[in-house]
Amino acid sequence: MSNLLRRSSWRYAWQHPWLMGLSVLGVALGVAMVVSIDLANTSAEKAFEQSAARVTGKATHQVVGASEELDEAVYTMLRVQEGVRDIAPVVEGYASVPGAGRTLHVLGVDAFAEAPFRSYVGGPGSNVELSAFMATPNTGVVAQPTVQALNKALGDTLTLRIGGKNTVLRIVGELVPDDDRSAQVIDNLLIVDIATAQELFGITGHLSRIDLIIPDSNDGELQLQRIEAALPDGAEVTRSTARTRTVEQMTRAFNLNLSALSLLALVVGMFLIYNTMTFSVVQRRPLLGRLRALGVTRREIFRQILGEAVVVALIGTVLGLAMGIVLGNVLVRLVTQTINDLYYVLTVRELSISAFTLLKGIALGLGATLLATIPPAREATRAPASTVLQRSQQESNLRELLPRLVIGGLGLALFGGILLLVPSRSIVLSYAALLCIIIAAALLTPAAVWGLAKLLRPLLGKTFGVLGRMAARGVVTTLSRTAVAVAALMIAIAATVGVGVMVDSFRETVAVWLGYTLRADVYVQAPSLVFRRVDTTLDPAVVERLINTEGIAGAYSVRSVSLSTPDGRTNLGVIDQGPNARRAFRFKAGDADALWRDFRTDDVVLISEPYSYRTGLDYGDTVEIPTDEGPHAFRIGGVFYDYASDQGVVLISRPIYEQYFTDRSLSGLALYAAEGQDVEALVDRLRNQAGTEQELIIRSNRALREASLEVFDRTFTVTIVLRLLAVLVAFVGVVSALMALQLERARELAVLRANGLTPRQVWRYVTLQTGTMGFIAGLLSVPLGLALASVLIYVINKRSFGWTLQFEIAPEVLIQAMVLALVAALLAGLYPSYKMAKANPALALREE
Amino acid sequence: MSIRMNRTTLFLGLLLGALVAGGVYWWQRAPTTAQVGSNLSLAEAMGGDTTGYLKADAPRTFVFPEDHGPHSGFKTEWWYYTGNLNATDGQHYGFQFTLFRIALIPPDTRSLVRTSAWATEHLYMGHFALSDIQNEQFYAFERFSREAAALAGAQNDPFRVWLEGWEATSIDSSGFPMRVRAQQDGVGIDLLLTPAKPMVLQGDNGLDPKGAESGNASYYYSATRLSAQGTVTINDDPQAVAGLAWMDREWSTSALGDDQVGWDWFALQLSDGRDLMYYQLRNQDGTADAESDGVLVAADGSKTTLRRDDVQLEVLDSWTSPLGGTYPSGWRLVIPSQALDLTVTPSFKAQELDVSVRYWEGAVFIEGTTNGQPVEGSGYVELTGYADAATGRAPS
Repeated sequence: MSNLLRRSSWRYAWQHPWLMGLSVLGVALGVAMVVSIDLANTSAEKAFEQSAARVTGKATHQVVGASEELDEAVYTMLRVQEGVRDIAPVVEGYASVPGAGRTLHVLGVDAFAEAPFRSYVGGPGSNVELSAFMATPNTGVVAQPTVQALNKALGDTLTLRIGGKNTVLRIVGELVPDDDRSAQVIDNLLIVDIATAQELFGITGHLSRIDLIIPDSNDGELQLQRIEAALPDGAEVTRSTARTRTVEQMTRAFNLNLSALSLLALVVGMFLIYNTMTFSVVQRRPLLGRLRALGVTRREIFRQILGEAVVVALIGTVLGLAMGIVLGNVLVRLVTQTINDLYYVLTVRELSISAFTLLKGIALGLGATLLATIPPAREATRAPASTVLQRSQQESNLRELLPRLVIGGLGLALFGGILLLVPSRSIVLSYAALLCIIIAAALLTPAAVWGLAKLLRPLLGKTFGVLGRMAARGVVTTLSRTAVAVAALMIAIAATVGVGVMVDSFRETVAVWLGYTLRADVYVQAPSLVFRRVDTTLDPAVVERLINTEGIAGAYSVRSVSLSTPDGRTNLGVIDQGPNARRAFRFKAGDADALWRDFRTDDVVLISEPYSYRTGLDYGDTVEIPTDEGPHAFRIGGVFYDYASDQGVVLISRPIYEQYFTDRSLSGLALYAAEGQDVEALVDRLRNQAGTEQELIIRSNRALREASLEVFDRTFTVTIVLRLLAVLVAFVGVVSALMALQLERARELAVLRANGLTPRQVWRYVTLQTGTMGFIAGLLSVPLGLALASVLIYVINKRSFGWTLQFEIAPEVLIQAMVLALVAALLAGLYPSYKMAKANPALALREE
Repeated sequence: MSIRMNRTTLFLGLLLGALVAGGVYWWQRAPTTAQVGSNLSLAEAMGGDTTGYLKADAPRTFVFPEDHGPHSGFKTEWWYYTGNLNATDGQHYGFQFTLFRIALIPPDTRSLVRTSAWATEHLYMGHFALSDIQNEQFYAFERFSREAAALAGAQNDPFRVWLEGWEATSIDSSGFPMRVRAQQDGVGIDLLLTPAKPMVLQGDNGLDPKGAESGNASYYYSATRLSAQGTVTINDDPQAVAGLAWMDREWSTSALGDDQVGWDWFALQLSDGRDLMYYQLRNQDGTADAESDGVLVAADGSKTTLRRDDVQLEVLDSWTSPLGGTYPSGWRLVIPSQALDLTVTPSFKAQELDVSVRYWEGAVFIEGTTNGQPVEGSGYVELTGYADAATGRAPS
């Protein structure tokens, strides 16, 4: 008997290749989205961990300065006077290789201090010219695969670009990795002597940090105390892992949001599967009834339907994994680009495919499919043991169910709303609420479809006559499936609306902010590898020349440093600004008059909104900042809106900064043009004045604004790609759902054809019906989409980054949603109407 | 061929081996013997290229205290101290303290404009060993550093050579007395050294030729008898000590010799006031080099050169290192022309330095006769090339 069941399943699938194909595709797309995002995220994370591990090595602790640099005398003091043996100086940075599109991680070390810390794995083939490495300036050692990838050989020179300056470096050694793992660890790593590193980065006299190995014992504890006691003000010992954790936390919210968006695609996929499986069961009800009459048990039928789902799930999942890997390769680049724009330098050469991600994909694919199949499978077992069956029974069931569905939907929506009100910072909780709202919307869909179709019937009747009324009525009579198809389409489109409105709102907010915050006419900075973190400094001679360029009426400087604080790194911005500063800031909290009065004379700072959110500090509190003179408390004079960094920033005035820090470098200059100056001509003149010793980015206000928005757009590319994929999933879903619906109507249409309906009229009938459904889905997607956008903007974004965004609805997004829904629906109707129109009605009637 | 010079070149080999082991260690996951060996081509390439350096090619006038300081135009240089010390409670100690300087690049290629204080042209290697004779405990340490950032260096006025916390300094600008200090892991020495004899210029007035070619030689002098006073520290517990020490100073630029595998070196201080230095070089085939020689310094500082034929050396015992390799351990040294008949015995056997390149260097005591009269003494013996890994060219 089970053989018979299997054969009947097989035959059904064989006769409906389109349906099965689309089901498989639905599962595949859902799995692919989840897998690809997960792979992209984990690859970026792994690349970061590797780059962190290769620079941290076996170090357990590190000595860091208050700002990014540490006086090198601290090292000599610890090693010679204090006799600390497991200690190594490190100068670290990044250099791009012009023309090669690569960024090298530059690690400056003292070869003789390195042994306990980092073993750069090289097989016996590794070849290092030690005397040249240590004693000749601008020499370095690179992994052999990297050397080859750069089309270089041992002994060749390599041009590096750091902070706008080019340096030619000679490759005096190659590390030959002895396995893949070590190859990944040393990929894109450039090891140079510490003296060369100081000269490359222009930080002579300073180190990035000092690495330590402190045993985890009482002796180690004593040693640690001794070291801490010996350190000068401003220097401190931290655990090596603290730094890695801090950096990982920076991208946590970003990664989590991407994962959540990809799960949304899976939810849409589940609707799709539910729809297909329901259809296949409903269509086979007579057959199932006959099988039951032949003595097949309910349990056997239930198992059989689930078995079919497993086959669909397996094929779909395998396909999804493959697609996910392909897609992951694209996404990893986008994710890496965003991390590079916003957070830190990261190179991911290839996707690292983790078994865990693939297992997760398989579990999600199979799980989601089976979950979506359980209701139709249970439905199948209810098929009465008879040969006679009407669908109307199911339809009346659903219509009876409508009030309950509505109550359930409203209840779930209420629950979602309550979840959002829970005072928490949990992003997971926010997404749970989002999911509740989506499912609530799905539960409300049948009632909405029923109501809207009734409303539309007279309208369609008036416009298209009998066919219009028939089409509208058809939507209602087959509500059990039209509602599911509409729900799937609605959710997918709502997701695109939600994400679209969120991105638009964000962009508009940033544009407005850029408008009032960028007040000067020309901005100057040295090229930096991370767009939103200027870690390069300007040559003082160049600054002098620029300020004195003809046509400059005024200038102020900006300095940005990263400080090590107990709760991670804090960006400190130093501004040396006159009266114009006032107009460049808008306060969320604070007294602007008092602030600007005291800003340049008192120990007062400004904090940005995300910083306030991240640390819980607010106007009127004090913030402790590690300075070169040791930690010092500053009063917070205000919280200002700022969208430059999701990590937040603390702003301090130049005079106060110089009281507490020895650093006098400048990161950027803002210049005001004199009355009547043509800014573009001024930019050209400044470029001439700048000379060639340091490459500078000199941009007009407009150009900087454009560049900022360009980076903004780039960081949302991943989101937009995900949004498009969600549309694709929805599209496939609706096509398969509607196509199934129409194909199922084969007999009904054949009857109509036999009664004189022309092929052309069939076409119109089908198109009208799917069009109606598309229209309803589009209409319903707008409120749901706006609800999703509100949650994304006011809850998830706030909880992830702490930003206040202005809600902006671009009409295009809404129009797009309607068009998308209609086009999807109309396209879905094409094949069935073509097939029905061509089919011989007699044959179609006989087939039943 | 001068034995001393060969010792120089072999030490250079040692040094380079150690350099490679220490410097290249971190390129490698585990510096097994094979890996160190495989990198010796690098060491030899480095040692082999002597172009651009000053050479010891003519006799020179030694000026003290300036010559205690560095001679950075030469490729290699070392400061070498050994001695036997007695504590007031009757404990005996031996110490060895050596600092090596090696130039990484020739003087004419050195870059004038370097802004980093870490820029370096020289490396320093240090070995420090202390023998606790009663307890037969041997402590040995090794360090490397660049000559930069105040980590290591050498200067002549006032004389100072240092490697992190290890150093030899003159307490004023006259060179002597010299203070030698080294400390690590609770073990240390802090000694004041005062010469009891004038400096001994080795070879031809301090020029010690190695081979026929000009420049294949070293500049070399010794202080064979220094009175030492100070403290020895073990387990962070300092003990007052006094005794005799020995200093060797040598600098040169020369290529590695190929046929020597190691040497046995004796620095002996006798109770009658005489000091004896004798080396026996071993060839690749295991035989003693016929050119081995030495010097006998009388109580008044006058010296007598000894040839291979003047000395009869007989091995009385051996010691096998737990790390591999069997060393001679105990000798009878007879010099008929000087009516000297000495038995040289290690104060204890396990005085092997397990450093980048293993070798044995330890305190010895002497019993014997001179002209039929009993004589005794103490000294230091250095044995290289016996450990399996030594310079990668040990005899099978």
